[in-house]
Amino acid sequence: MSVTTFSGPGLDSRVALARGAIEVDVSLTAEPGQVIGILGPNGGGKTTTVLALAGVLRLERGHVRVAGQLWADDTHHLEPEQRGVGLMLADSLLFPHLRALDNVAYGPRSRGVGRSAARARAHTELERVGLGDLAGARPAELSSGQQARVALARALATDPALLLLDEPLSALDPDTRARTRSDLATRLAAYRGVTVLVTHDPLDALTLADHLVFIEDGRVTQTGTPSEVLREPRSPYVGTVVGLNLYAAQGDSHGHVETADGGRIVTTSPTEGSVWATIPPTAVSLHAHEPEGSPRNTWRMRISSVTMQGQSARIGLVGDVPLTAEVTLESVAALGLRVGAEVWAAVKATEVRTYPR
Amino acid sequence: MVSARRDARVAPPMRYAARWRSRVVLGVPAAVALLLLVVPLVALLVQADWSRIPSDLATPTVLPALRLSLTTTSITAALCLLLGTPLAWFLARSDHPATSWARALLTVPLVLPPVVGGVALLLTWGRNGLLGQYLTPFGIQIPFTTVAVVLAETFVAMPYYVLAVEGAMRGLDPRLESVARTLGASDLRYLCTVGIPLVLPGIAGGLALAWARALGEFGATITFAGNFQGRTQTLPLLVYVELERDPQVAISISIMLLAVSVLLLGVLRGRWLR
Repeated sequence: MSVTTFSGPGLDSRVALARGAIEVDVSLTAEPGQVIGILGPNGGGKTTTVLALAGVLRLERGHVRVAGQLWADDTHHLEPEQRGVGLMLADSLLFPHLRALDNVAYGPRSRGVGRSAARARAHTELERVGLGDLAGARPAELSSGQQARVALARALATDPALLLLDEPLSALDPDTRARTRSDLATRLAAYRGVTVLVTHDPLDALTLADHLVFIEDGRVTQTGTPSEVLREPRSPYVGTVVGLNLYAAQGDSHGHVETADGGRIVTTSPTEGSVWATIPPTAVSLHAHEPEGSPRNTWRMRISSVTMQGQSARIGLVGDVPLTAEVTLESVAALGLRVGAEVWAAVKATEVRTYPR
Repeated sequence: MVSARRDARVAPPMRYAARWRSRVVLGVPAAVALLLLVVPLVALLVQADWSRIPSDLATPTVLPALRLSLTTTSITAALCLLLGTPLAWFLARSDHPATSWARALLTVPLVLPPVVGGVALLLTWGRNGLLGQYLTPFGIQIPFTTVAVVLAETFVAMPYYVLAVEGAMRGLDPRLESVARTLGASDLRYLCTVGIPLVLPGIAGGLALAWARALGEFGATITFAGNFQGRTQTLPLLVYVELERDPQVAISISIMLLAVSVLLLGVLRGRWLR
């Protein structure tokens, strides 16, 4: 696809600018109705990208084209109020002195819609997020989840061609978060523009987005559908997000894989050359003595961390091939797993996947 | 008892004496400082002939001065509101180096002796002043008029207002403005619909400070505007004059000004200050 001739109805952008210590250069494209999930470590340039798309920050290079309209390029810059953009941030940032209805009507009013028409529109938007009966409430009288829904209604009341959601759920407590997430999913399903959703919660990304973009240190490190990313992570950060042990390695045709740190892994799915190798934490078994029999990979390891996760525990292991293992709480007790202890880790060769780097 | 014996060991007699010594060393100057501030106010209240206050305040010189003070301080407050609010807005938003210079300049009138301010105003608006020379051909003369009183009061009061409001505006979350702009609001619309409503406490506090400062203005006024009854003689100037003619009248006016100040402070503390 040639970037310069693209003039489709969706989002076509390359955002390049320096902000603080970080140089951001990120390209994003999307079809109308798509939800792009942006993930990445803090300080990696996610918010900078969003603010540049909104027009709050200026591009140094690149372009932003939305719904066939040029919003910004090297020489041209539309101010945020001239763009058809909706913005929702972590703190819902409602105007505290305005009632919910007037918060939502603020956008249409600012864009020249008459008072009663703007209020009617605001009512409709509030009803669509299930808050029709709270139109008269001030933000301080609303729960955090309700505030987030009002903020979403406010962002959508101007019919933006591009909706930017920067960590929209991160300020909510876990309970509210799950409910608001499903409200958000429902509302986004009916939205016809492009949505860019920034999050650090993989669950948000997997449940809300249909395309994922990972941004690390100002650059895109991986893009793909959630299932592609889950199967084949391509950076250590993505590996952590999707919960897989990931190694940059060299593979040969016989199933021998050597990691960059010199660890050796055996696999039944060989790939030659530079590869990524993955091991699911659930495929790692731990033993007090060196195991015999079928597993082709066994390493003597030291436990560096133990964390609980529901009915299972995640054990951080250091050794030739640093690993995270997921085991039952019973094995934690039975094997006496604690930080500093030495154990044997075993992984069947059939559980190790490799794919070209 | 065991605990008493332990206490005795922890706090031996020497310690006790040391504590008293430090109390005296710190307490005496603290008490002196408090007295220096409070005694004059008490003196004003004690020395006043309370029965005379109503008739004193009805003296023919008082009413014009009261009216002039109220008019000029109200105009000053309005000027602060209309001109100072936009200035505070620019100072609060800009990170440009020129902004910090502007802010530093703004604080000069705060620390400048008011008489020097009066001289500076004369050199600006006087017959041959920096700006005054262009007004003279039109027969416009500013020094020693009521306009001069307002200019002098504005000169000393505006910085209080601007700094108070700027502080409040800096407290606003800048992301609120980003959100408002994506919703389609221009700078001006954001300022009027969100910025100002959210800093109203700061604006009210700034106005009260500026008004109180303008009400008490003496040095710059007498230098730049003179002391003409009904035209430039405000209440503080009248107090100064009456102190030589009839001290009881001066005391009565002073008590009225004190009452106004305390009232203002009470309102401020209840609503806008903590």
